[in-house]
Amino acid sequence: VSTVRRLQVPTPSDLVDLLTAPGSESPVELGRLVDAIAARLAKTHPTRPRRIDAFVAEFGAARFTTAFHWSARAARRPLGTAALRRVAAGTSRDLLRAAHEEMETLCDRAQRGLARRGALGTWLAAAPTEVRALCAAEAATWAWGLCHLVDLHAHADRVAVGVPDAWFDVPRARTTLHGRRDATGTGVAASGVLRLRDGAPGARALDGLLVDALVAAMAGRVPMTPARVVGAWPDAGIVLCVELDDVALRHAARLVVTCGSSLTTTATPSVEPVLAA
Amino acid sequence: VGERFVTCREQNPSMTAATIAPSDDLVVALRGAGSLRPSVDRGLAGGLRAWLDDGIFELAGVPSPGQLRVATRDVVGAPAPGARAGLLRGALVAQVLRLHVAGCTPEDPFAAASAALLASGRDDDLAGLLVELDQDERARLATEVASHAAVLFDQLPAIPARWSPRVGVSHRVPLAGGGVALCGRVDLTLGAPGGATACVCLLDVTTSPLDARHLVGLTYLALLSTLRAGEPPLRVAALSTADGAALVRDVDATMLTGAVAGVLRTIAAMVAR
Repeated sequence: VSTVRRLQVPTPSDLVDLLTAPGSESPVELGRLVDAIAARLAKTHPTRPRRIDAFVAEFGAARFTTAFHWSARAARRPLGTAALRRVAAGTSRDLLRAAHEEMETLCDRAQRGLARRGALGTWLAAAPTEVRALCAAEAATWAWGLCHLVDLHAHADRVAVGVPDAWFDVPRARTTLHGRRDATGTGVAASGVLRLRDGAPGARALDGLLVDALVAAMAGRVPMTPARVVGAWPDAGIVLCVELDDVALRHAARLVVTCGSSLTTTATPSVEPVLAA
Repeated sequence: VGERFVTCREQNPSMTAATIAPSDDLVVALRGAGSLRPSVDRGLAGGLRAWLDDGIFELAGVPSPGQLRVATRDVVGAPAPGARAGLLRGALVAQVLRLHVAGCTPEDPFAAASAALLASGRDDDLAGLLVELDQDERARLATEVASHAAVLFDQLPAIPARWSPRVGVSHRVPLAGGGVALCGRVDLTLGAPGGATACVCLLDVTTSPLDARHLVGLTYLALLSTLRAGEPPLRVAALSTADGAALVRDVDATMLTGAVAGVLRTIAAMVAR
């Protein structure tokens, strides 16, 4: 990776400037990169569908040794993202109320039979009131972490929060790539991607950021490389910014292929690596 | 804070420490009047970090990544964790606090806190212990949690959403290139950082009676919050659900430099072992 910057507690304005400033290099030829990734992943001959994301890149397939189950910790990011979306749209007054409202919507959908068995809504609908209250508190806490990085109201026209994650099905490889993103710059062709993470950055934190950014680039309706990816670890007060030049994207592509190989050779239970989100 | 609070000079002579009178509102005491808040000193965090890095180098050289992990317990000099029932009680009261902040005040705090703990996705070992309790232990714990919850509900009023309440916020501040990690968890954080005046308040809820160690713990949490957010919090407070006693302290440079010295003493003790 060619350019990494560590920012010591940036102000929301600094961060928004980072997310919206154009990149210094012309973006890589993504179509060729996607073809190369697909060809390499197809050669690994997967016996069943597999999912590759930043956590597999950082910690390997062996990290997830138990089957996934919903918990307040696992639910906070999807609920917090939805709560942010509601507050940004002006349909809810505050994050806690927005989280409660989002849960009511999910539960209603589940009770009408419109949610699959393992969905968050199904779990919430069966959970007691106090568990739902805990989920709301955790989701609001998570969402406040993002709000303190990006001022929702001051920067509403420059940054989008509550954006959906990026998904990309690799052709002929039985592989789905999942790229998490918590905010993106808007208004310029090649904006930045922001990821909010727990704890402190580990030894391979940059690898995770790059995989998230690569999938975000591949998943666009018109494939387009973000100018940079910004990873924020509020627990540690650390923000890392990686410029997405050719070197960085090719490194991310190699990581995806390596993850595909390791998932093929490692016997893992049927798990969803969402828990550490 | 206000003149209505009693200053505990014997506990900390050089700083303002205030205990809350039974009739006072803890949240109001924490937040105080907006017009009286000091402006934020954004240069302080960098100096404290540099002081810590220099001190660590003198004590431990260049520690390898992840070599030293400093927790609140280490800094306050708490004895090793005793009966796990005590830890379980603390974890359940923490869940009651989260439910309270979320606007849920359960009629049966033990049942609600147990359901919340089991669904939290954290503290798996304590959740396992909870499941394994026999009937007598469960009844005893239920009574204890109910009494702690009653004190909590009485002392801590509903928190307005505009104060951006965050529950169970983890702090994990790496120092010395990742060789040392300062860790802590704040039970309740109020106020948003980034403004012109300090307005972040930290509340630590404990099930034991307040003593001198809680003051040290609060200063450590204030230091962590400063390093993490780049600006010092406005106030820190501790609330004991054992007897309803509360303690509120203004955060200033003297308190934070004292916390730096405490952290360095702790690291020196760790290195000497």
